[in-house]
Amino acid sequence: MKTRLPVFVAFISGALMIIAFFGRGTVVDAVSEEALTWQTIVGGFALLLGAVSIVRVHWQKISTRHTDRYYSVGLLICFAVMAGSGVLFGIGGGTLFDHLFQRIQAPMMSTMFSVLAFFIASAAYRAFRARSVSSAILLLAAIVVMLGRIPMGQYVYHGLPAWADWIMTVPSMAVQRGILIGAALGAASMSLRIMLGIERTYLGRG
Amino acid sequence: MSEERSGQQVLRAPFWQRLQSVDRRILYSLIFASVIIPVLWPLHLPTLVTPESRAFFNAVDSLPSGSVVLFPFDFWPSTLPETEPMAIAALRHCFRKNLRVVGLSNVGMGGPSIADRLLDSIGAEFHKSYGADYVNLGYKANYSAVMLGMGSRIADIFPADHRGTRLEDIPLMRQVPNYDSVKFVLIISDNAMTDYWVALVNARYGLPMVAGVTAIMAPKMLSYMHSRQLMGLLGGMKGAAEYEQLIGRPDKASRGMDAQSLIHFLIIVFIVLGNAGYFMSRRHRTRLGQV
Amino acid sequence: MIDWTSHPFFALLPTAFFTLAIFSFLYKDNPMFKLAEHVFAGLSAGYYFGLIYHSVIRQQVWVPLTQDGHWSVIIPGALGLLMFARFFPRIGWTTRLPLAFVIGSTAGIMFIQQLHGMVLPQVGRTVLPLDSVRNILIIAGVLTTLIYFYFSKPHAGPLGWVASAGIGFIMIAFGAHFGYTVMARVSLLIGRVQFLLVDWLGLAR
Repeated sequence: MKTRLPVFVAFISGALMIIAFFGRGTVVDAVSEEALTWQTIVGGFALLLGAVSIVRVHWQKISTRHTDRYYSVGLLICFAVMAGSGVLFGIGGGTLFDHLFQRIQAPMMSTMFSVLAFFIASAAYRAFRARSVSSAILLLAAIVVMLGRIPMGQYVYHGLPAWADWIMTVPSMAVQRGILIGAALGAASMSLRIMLGIERTYLGRG
Repeated sequence: MSEERSGQQVLRAPFWQRLQSVDRRILYSLIFASVIIPVLWPLHLPTLVTPESRAFFNAVDSLPSGSVVLFPFDFWPSTLPETEPMAIAALRHCFRKNLRVVGLSNVGMGGPSIADRLLDSIGAEFHKSYGADYVNLGYKANYSAVMLGMGSRIADIFPADHRGTRLEDIPLMRQVPNYDSVKFVLIISDNAMTDYWVALVNARYGLPMVAGVTAIMAPKMLSYMHSRQLMGLLGGMKGAAEYEQLIGRPDKASRGMDAQSLIHFLIIVFIVLGNAGYFMSRRHRTRLGQV
Repeated sequence: MIDWTSHPFFALLPTAFFTLAIFSFLYKDNPMFKLAEHVFAGLSAGYYFGLIYHSVIRQQVWVPLTQDGHWSVIIPGALGLLMFARFFPRIGWTTRLPLAFVIGSTAGIMFIQQLHGMVLPQVGRTVLPLDSVRNILIIAGVLTTLIYFYFSKPHAGPLGWVASAGIGFIMIAFGAHFGYTVMARVSLLIGRVQFLLVDWLGLAR
């Protein structure tokens, strides 16, 4: 019951979506449209679960007097201010919720990812070695594309932009297509496994 | 090689080994300098426009005035330097052509807020009014359900917009019940949402679409351009700079290309130095019979 | 009286502070970075809470139920609440039901999407006339890549030769991808430096 019922629900909801694709304008299609709306509602609660889980974890850190508990206090205060302002005063433009997002959260997220520029440069310097013919080809293609895609590249050699274009639209595109096709076939087979109950890892333990 | 330090003989590593192990703080300082210098003293280097960017521009430019454009702001705040200039240039192009924009986001973390800010600020530039010329539907969870559900009835998925106004009270949305009333989809994205728009909406409903994506995603998106599932493509900050040039409004992306040039050169120098040190080291070990 | 808060330097001071706090990690991990990390995590969780409260709970459940008389929303609302059953061990297993509904439906959509929207169009556009070097290379690139990633048979003999050709194409593609990855990461850094020097300090226009 605890496993069979969820597996049955997964099969029915998946099959509904597939049959609706072939039966547009039928009763099945109408039922699937209602199911799509339900999916957006249930999916929203899943995101809420994530937010609540973060609060639980850091509350536990405070109650067990963890070394970093003062940072967790700061986290919970920020959560309370953000969530409280959103619930009480709205989430549209000009609200405290929006200001906190635009002025603090979004810039911080941008900065966190911008740090990767340093790491990629450091990695290129330390690890990018032409140890074999394959890696030499990779290195050469990288240099041609990096030079061909910047304004200065055409001053190094006027044909570089055209070479970079050719690399992107012929060999690179072909390989990306091959990977896309392979990955799509893999995803389709995984979807079938989930619907047929062969793949049950999403159910967790027990 | 050896030198004396505090009365002890210290073996100094050969030059080619030191070439492979420059302190990372020196590397980071050089990277910072190569970004700061062109920002303070711009070089004004010209940007070559790629065929994909020109196709993007032409696809939007060919839309008749008054057409409804679906505009997904499907990007995270982490990639704003790449995606925001694209979104701004695209909105300027749409509003200049009097296209009506229906904005939404499938990215919960900040997507609807960023959409709100950009639509309002660029809309104000062109004296466009919310509700008549543009609207922000906001965010709903489960992107595949959202994309498919909007094909039947948008109000089933979005009963109200991001500000809480019911869709039947918004003049623009009274004319756009589903995809049948949408002429074009203009995606700005930094994740797999572009793939889903192409595979779900373009494949099922035949809606023409273009995409502005981050540079990491651009190589993969070229497959969709070749298969004509996408009509145009902008790739990264360079794509944004090209589009700014095409609409005649150079902005942040165009200014950033000078720094991009310098850093690319710097990284190539790093790679060459590292490899030079590696090969010299290998040659030395071969001579000593260690390889 | 001078309005300090409207001057960009003071108005953007909190933004600049947290930007520099994150950058300080490049030197080493420090309390300022840890604080910024935790502030970010708290604001992110709070953002999701506020967004879902308005976008889902109010707009999709509460208003349709109380003002429009759409009683059917009770079912997805109840399924959504069941997600929280995982915090109660005795009824924890019921959290599998909403998960199964969402994952099963998504699997059904994905099955069609991947085949109809990705495989068919991509394979269709690979069937090209062999009348140009470009077309021949594209077909060769797609086929050799697919064969290279086929691991159910050892790469020996003719299959091995084709897989080796695939490696050549793949190395070119990965090199190009590395070039674009560098472009992407560098753009993010340029954006933040532009904020600090232009928007905050006003050192350039």
